[in-house]
Amino acid sequence: MIANDDTQLLQRLLAGEQRAYKELVSTYQSPMRAVAYAIVGSRHADEVVQDAWLSVVRNLSGFQGRSSLKTWLLTITANAAKGRYKQNRREVLLDDLPAPHGTLGDDRFAADGHWLLAPFAWHQDTPEALLTESELRDCLEHTLLSLSELQGSVLTLRERQGLELEEICNLLDISLSNVRVLLHRARLKVFATVEHFEETGEC
Amino acid sequence: MLTCKEQVARSSDYLDGQLSFRERLMVRHHLMFCPNCRRFIRQMKLMQATLRKLPEPPVPDLDHLAEKLAADRRRHSR
Repeated sequence: MIANDDTQLLQRLLAGEQRAYKELVSTYQSPMRAVAYAIVGSRHADEVVQDAWLSVVRNLSGFQGRSSLKTWLLTITANAAKGRYKQNRREVLLDDLPAPHGTLGDDRFAADGHWLLAPFAWHQDTPEALLTESELRDCLEHTLLSLSELQGSVLTLRERQGLELEEICNLLDISLSNVRVLLHRARLKVFATVEHFEETGEC
Repeated sequence: MLTCKEQVARSSDYLDGQLSFRERLMVRHHLMFCPNCRRFIRQMKLMQATLRKLPEPPVPDLDHLAEKLAADRRRHSR
């Protein structure tokens, strides 16, 4: 069954209403780009997203609502990416490492595995309060861009888009254990960024 | 009992519900006795929530793209 919001938007899209396309693009371009970015890298991600949009428009009448609109759009994007650039995947995947998946810098812990340098208490305790500092917002954007393509995409799809781990595996054709490692490493880097900012006021 | 370092290594799996029942109990047990690790997990969750709230950069050329797609659709359905 199609979710109600999807149904209404779909009718307007089918009718070719420009405002509906504006809504669609501003909502879904970012996760679509994350999927493309993970599969083909930054150089070709924009082309793939363009291709995906064209394919979405052509196939819109065939959308059955068996999945959410979001899942459908991301699947089209993943297929566009894989079809064109499967050979070009630039990042070598990790072996399927057994959990657990690594930690903050080793210098944070004593030889017995306890904290040597305990987590610094952040000054703010809500996302809204943290994000009022424009330097921190810039710093977070900077850190997200500095992650590897797969790490950045997996983090975006999970944290910003709320996808389930299994959905990410299916879209990107990577194993669950890979997704878990990528996500964990990406989170620790972002964590370290916020912690450093809270401690020093610098990025 | 897990060490703090082992707890940190399992933190994402803990937050994503990917641990086995036994491992989840081990993490919970550790957190019960370790304020530093409780702070770590609390701040990991805050970091997650902050990423969720971080505004997405605007789509470049949004109006142009929307106009093109809408026109394509109208042409396609004719």
